[in-house]
Amino acid sequence: MLKRSLAIITILIIGYWLAQSLAGVPFGEDKMLVGQYYLDHVKDQTGAVNAVTAIVVNYRGFDTLGEVTVLFIASTGVGALLWRKRKKRTAKTEGSVVLTTGSELLFPFVVLFGSYIFIHGHLTPGGGFPGGATIATAFLLLYMAFVSYEIPHKAFEKTEGLAGMGYVLVGLTGLAIGGYFLFDWIWQTWQWGTGNIGRLFSGGFIPIIYTLIGIKVGTELSGIIDNMLKEEVRE
Amino acid sequence: MNGQYASLLIALPLISAFFVPLIKGLGNKAVKYYLILITAIQAGIAGWVFSEVYRTGEPIIVMAGGWRPPVGINLYIGHFAALFVLIVAIVSFFMAIFSLKAVETEPIDKYAMLFLLLMLGATGMIATGDIFNLFVFMEITSITAYALTAYNKTGEAAEASLKYMILGGIGSSFFLIGIALIYGATGTLNMAHLAILAGGIDAKVAEAGLALLIFGLAVEAELFPLNAWAPDAYQAAPHPITAMFSAFVVKAGIYAAARLLYIMQGASGWSSVLKLVVTMAALTVFVAEFAALRQKDVKRMIAYSSISQIGMIAFALALGTQAGVEAGVFHMVNHAIVKALLFLAVGYVGIALGGTRIENFAGLGKRMPLTALAVTVGSLSAIGLPMFNIFWSKLRILLAGVDAGYTWGVALILGASVVEAVYYLRLIHTIWFTGEGERIRENLAIGTIAVFLVLLIIFIGIYPNYFWTVSQKAGEDIFNVVQYVKNVPLMGVGP
Repeated sequence: MLKRSLAIITILIIGYWLAQSLAGVPFGEDKMLVGQYYLDHVKDQTGAVNAVTAIVVNYRGFDTLGEVTVLFIASTGVGALLWRKRKKRTAKTEGSVVLTTGSELLFPFVVLFGSYIFIHGHLTPGGGFPGGATIATAFLLLYMAFVSYEIPHKAFEKTEGLAGMGYVLVGLTGLAIGGYFLFDWIWQTWQWGTGNIGRLFSGGFIPIIYTLIGIKVGTELSGIIDNMLKEEVRE
Repeated sequence: MNGQYASLLIALPLISAFFVPLIKGLGNKAVKYYLILITAIQAGIAGWVFSEVYRTGEPIIVMAGGWRPPVGINLYIGHFAALFVLIVAIVSFFMAIFSLKAVETEPIDKYAMLFLLLMLGATGMIATGDIFNLFVFMEITSITAYALTAYNKTGEAAEASLKYMILGGIGSSFFLIGIALIYGATGTLNMAHLAILAGGIDAKVAEAGLALLIFGLAVEAELFPLNAWAPDAYQAAPHPITAMFSAFVVKAGIYAAARLLYIMQGASGWSSVLKLVVTMAALTVFVAEFAALRQKDVKRMIAYSSISQIGMIAFALALGTQAGVEAGVFHMVNHAIVKALLFLAVGYVGIALGGTRIENFAGLGKRMPLTALAVTVGSLSAIGLPMFNIFWSKLRILLAGVDAGYTWGVALILGASVVEAVYYLRLIHTIWFTGEGERIRENLAIGTIAVFLVLLIIFIGIYPNYFWTVSQKAGEDIFNVVQYVKNVPLMGVGP
């Protein structure tokens, strides 16, 4: 009781302190120093209609590369910690016919929609991370509906590595062509798609990177699900 | 050569980590040699960057995507970053060689990926010039560190990792809130731009924001109330990883804290945050030294010793004077060398004799003379005896502390140093004057690394001048914010 009330009091003090300092942040006022620049220049500098993805992939692409890495670490870490010589799924109850048939029917639609999200990252809300997560949901669906379903590990692992390498390679190509790492060579050097803003084939390298991220995130999250669902089997 | 190629420091470890799944079919040996190859190339690039920066005296500004800051993210590889990126790469290279012998636990391909990404995270934290990017690299570093801590898959390792993960998670959430507050108040994330705008931030926001940032980093940097995870994690992690934690992962956190502190110099409430850090640092030294005294396990003892030395560095960096910052950086360099050596030698003993408890060290002087010599030199240096490198940096820190008026802090550190001498001398006594044993053949590669580090320690101890000048330049890089801002090619944005 004493412990709990002390904790509550401490949290209240911290909350008050944070609220006090939040009161000093000028919300709603014009503090958009860098933000205004993005809004003014996003179309002609990156070719993307979606300002968020333009910032995330193009202006601050370095952060996204880092976030992709964080996810990669998470899946590698889970893989390392749950590694056993032989692992198998030990689920017992078979799903009902309605569930299995439904999942089978739904699977291609979910994958299709996930791909739609990451391919249209420069036009509509979304991008590589939500698209990839949607695709992983499709695999989760199969895992839940079928007792013995397993993703093709070898292929998934290699695809994941290749997609990550692809991202870095796009960046290194920018270094070779434009002189800067992660330089948008498609838009700024080749000026490909300049007359096409707002349509699918525009947006410089954003759709390419988002496709790579989508594939990577999709395979990674599926891998995490797979690792966590399996248990060690002893002979 | 174009300075932008310095971005390879980030790109190379990343692309090679992603490449590992493609070669894992070649077997364990191949993956381990691949790791050595990549860290060697990284050390080569870092060496080139180092010589470039120190030759021209100008920092290399890498602009990701070709966008000028503050619109894009820039890396700022000045004197400090160039020096420490080199240290990170060389220590990683040594530890990759050590991993050949030290890591037998499966799966080795995952180990190689995490190893490379730990190196990448520390490099990024040291090089970046943007606070959100700093957060991203901090996450890369800490999440790899969680996974690597638990890598041995023993119960202890899992517990240590869980502790670290919970504390680290809370710390980085606070860090993120701090970033949000500061972004809300200024509208920018670039460090140089922030330094310009810092004076105009509302006093309360600046104080809270800065305190939250420092609090978040203090978990990574092992400052007193938030370092409970560290000894467990150091003990449970694979031996090469422990050396990496102590040699550069903590340093990246502590450097980031110092960088943010000095960037926000103009903000009101700055000096009170400084005082808070000095207090935390002095307490860290004190508590960790006394905890080390009681340890029965040598690896854990050195882990506590490492924490206390980090406290000393934090103390020096938060003094707010140029002399203090320079001394702190010098100590960072020396400590990286000494602790890399100590954890290497102690880890090797752990592998050869099966465990790092103090009993295993009895008679080590007869059984493994070279390793015993390495432990001895490392210990004597850590105490701060003259003729060894840490003597000079400890002296500088104490002098700077007195100059800045923190006599109580200096007294506390000096008192703690006596304690440090006690437990290190006890260890040396155990090694040379007790126990009997047969000679064990020592590994050539590990022996070579150990001898190299021993010679380096003695060399700096006798001729500290070259390294002192380098550290002075690196320290000025942190302290002289006006020059820092001048070096970053900011574009004018906003009204």
